Amino acid sequence: MGPDGAPDEGVPWRKVLWERQPFPDNYVDQRFLEELRRNVGIRQYRYWAVAREAGFVGQQLSCVAIFITLWLYMEQGLLSPERLLWTCLVCALLGYGLHQALTTKLESGYKIRTHLANLQSATIFLSFTFGFSPVLKTLTESVSTDTVYAMSAVMLLAHLVSFPYAQPSPPGSLSLNAALFASVCLASRLPGALHTFAMLSCALLVFALWPCLLQRLRENAPNQFTGLCVGVCIGGVGGLGSQSPGGAVLLALALGSVTLLCPLLLVRLQRHKDNIHGPWDEAEIREDLSHFLR
Amino acid sequence: MCSGRVEAEIMVLKIFFPQCCNLADSGLLVGRWISGHNSAVVLAVIHYPFIPSQVKTYLQQMQAQSGVELSVLGSWSLPKEGQEGMESFLRDLSTIFPQECWLQIHREVGKTGFNCRVVHRDQRRTLASLQKDVDGKIAQLETNKETFDRGDVEDGGQEKQQDKEDEDKVIFVHYEQRKVMLSELHPPEAPDSETEPPSELRQVFHTVAHSQPLYFLDKYDDGPLKSTHWQSEGREASIIVELLKQATVPLCLLISWLLSVWTWICGLRVFSLQPVRFLSSKLSTCNQLSYRTDHMRALSSVKSAAEHAHFMKKANIMVSFLLDVALGVLLMWWLYRDDHIAMLANMLVPAADRVAKELEELLQWLMGAPAGLKMNRALDQVLGRFFLYHIHLWISYVRLMAPFIEGILWYGGLSACLGLSFALSLLSDMIALLTFHIYCFYVYGARLYCLKIYGLSSLWRLFRGKKWNVLRQRVDSCSYDLDQLFIGMLLFTILLFLLPTTALYYLVFTLLRLLVVLLQGVLHLSVDLINSFPLFASGLRIFRPYRLAEGVKFRVLCEEPGTALHLMMETNPLKFGALVQTYRLPTYSCYPKDSWLALVKKLFVGQLVYPWRHKSAKTD
Repeated sequence: MGPDGAPDEGVPWRKVLWERQPFPDNYVDQRFLEELRRNVGIRQYRYWAVAREAGFVGQQLSCVAIFITLWLYMEQGLLSPERLLWTCLVCALLGYGLHQALTTKLESGYKIRTHLANLQSATIFLSFTFGFSPVLKTLTESVSTDTVYAMSAVMLLAHLVSFPYAQPSPPGSLSLNAALFASVCLASRLPGALHTFAMLSCALLVFALWPCLLQRLRENAPNQFTGLCVGVCIGGVGGLGSQSPGGAVLLALALGSVTLLCPLLLVRLQRHKDNIHGPWDEAEIREDLSHFLR
Repeated sequence: MCSGRVEAEIMVLKIFFPQCCNLADSGLLVGRWISGHNSAVVLAVIHYPFIPSQVKTYLQQMQAQSGVELSVLGSWSLPKEGQEGMESFLRDLSTIFPQECWLQIHREVGKTGFNCRVVHRDQRRTLASLQKDVDGKIAQLETNKETFDRGDVEDGGQEKQQDKEDEDKVIFVHYEQRKVMLSELHPPEAPDSETEPPSELRQVFHTVAHSQPLYFLDKYDDGPLKSTHWQSEGREASIIVELLKQATVPLCLLISWLLSVWTWICGLRVFSLQPVRFLSSKLSTCNQLSYRTDHMRALSSVKSAAEHAHFMKKANIMVSFLLDVALGVLLMWWLYRDDHIAMLANMLVPAADRVAKELEELLQWLMGAPAGLKMNRALDQVLGRFFLYHIHLWISYVRLMAPFIEGILWYGGLSACLGLSFALSLLSDMIALLTFHIYCFYVYGARLYCLKIYGLSSLWRLFRGKKWNVLRQRVDSCSYDLDQLFIGMLLFTILLFLLPTTALYYLVFTLLRLLVVLLQGVLHLSVDLINSFPLFASGLRIFRPYRLAEGVKFRVLCEEPGTALHLMMETNPLKFGALVQTYRLPTYSCYPKDSWLALVKKLFVGQLVYPWRHKSAKTD
């Protein structure tokens, strides 16, 4: 019997509406919802795998913390711009070497031209930044300190939120631009033009070039990648701790919650997932349609 | 033409009767039948005694001269003593002048109403009129009661059998002939309008106006025919008008010769060089000169105006020009007495100094912290010093010119003899020259601001990772390279933080420029008013309102039983608004073509704004 109590007429009910049948239009028989499936294709997360991926997010957070630490040092005059510049140069060269070493034979090709192109790009960056640094220094002179800090905080938050964690190598426009905007805001608060230049070069290194290296590491040496993430996190907490212990505690808490607490939540909540699928879903084409292209 | 149908259709026959013929002696009615409208216009009455063949030749002559289809409409009888046999004589005339309809209008001395009988040729009998309701054609009437004339009914066999009698109903519409002749019905129709046949009223006016040759025969002529019309007491003319008419021909020749000399001067090679041409297209004095030259050319053509619109245009031009010159001479008289020129010249240089000093103070204020706004100090100093240097240059220029100012004003004041509009144009040009530095500042500020806005909008798109697709005119996402992102970001930050400074300078100079533009606009508008206002037409409307008619109104004159209905037709004068619109002279300046919203948008983006653009003036 259907839900409306239609009499069973002996004619089998068919699930069509274009034929007049002796049943009412909303009649269903006992095969109702037979094709309902629950949670088809759901992923089962494993805690430590998720934690490892979340480590990348924590790593980025620590990167930002390291950058802010460096800025704090420069502002207080504890770090001279020349030293920062030399350090950045050395790190850049090391990173570039590592990057080239990790590139497999398949992706390399045309080595000389790539080196020259990279050198040209680097020259353009540095000369441009050096030329504009006096202008950049005076940009936020008339803006109050609170506004500058607020703007930088918002921009760095935007950077963290919009960062392409899945594929960091072609840098996401919004994240990179937000980070650079924040770094210009902060760098213009420093005492001299050379400080500004040093800060901007450091920002370029941290926000633009470091993710490319990370991408390579993640692809080719995943275990070392995890170790590196942990190292960066510890470095961030330590660096911040040398300037302000409160900040270090906050950062540690944040890292802990992102890398350890959130995966736990994810795994726990996965249990409550209840998706229903059935023949009413949108069709997904899975086969290869390239044989139609000929 | 009235049709001779005998079915139960009631036809209203309208006869337009001139007032001057109300007391004319008996005779023949001359006029025209209006085709398609069942009405007739009586133009004149030719008195008894006459010879019919002479009347016919006379009518043919008149028709050839005037182009109006004149014919004998019927007979008019106002019997006096000693004219008893007139009635039957007049009745027999219908056989001499064969017409479709023959009107027999009869009036008794002492009674106001007329009696009218209409004879249809194919029926050969008279029909009397019936009492019926008024036709909807005469809409201005207030009454719809009709009186008819019951005359003899010669019955034919057919008529007796019908219950109703078919009779023509006649309405007399009286008009004042001279006024209708001079008046022009508005809106004037286009010369080649083939869409509809002209209305009845238009045909009436057209007939009366074009029958000028008919009105030359007056009562005291010695010719074979005597007629009565508005001019039958004798032609009137004024000596002054006749003298002026004689004088215009040599005057026109003189003006044409002067114009040809002027055109030759303007056509010299030296004036067609590019800088001179560019300058002369910007100065409003040159525009005004060429505009007046066109007017003079229109005025000085020797042949007289063919149609009413042309005539009104020439008259308007002349009167405007004379008023202009009169006002200009008045201005000159005021300027040159009591040494006003020297006073003005002495006021001018200190005024310019004052303006420069005020500007300097304004710039110093901007270079500090204006209104508490935080400006970028370096850019502020750069811009402020740049503009200060300009002001310094300009002050030197004004000081250089100081000794010559009086001479310039003296000679410039002479130009007011050409008209007040010239003096105003000259004033407007002088203001433009004196405030040239404000214009320069405005252009610099606007260009800088425009560049900044453009750069900012493009880099903002880069910030979000999008770019403008020129082909599709939309915003698309785009993956930028690292170096593009980096440099774009730096530039964006720089432009963003320098925006308040540039925007403030732009705002201040735009406001100043708008003030100057407003002043110039007022001057241009007054020049425009002088140029385009139809003074002659307004004067005509005030003093001779019947000349420009918008329509007619009817008044009931006489409604006695036993006679036909008499109405008086008077013209409705044209309203002032329609008058100005019809007779405005076209001018060369156009009103601001941007609406307010478009103007504000242009100002916001930083595009240069020229609100009072002239139409391209014809160069001599």
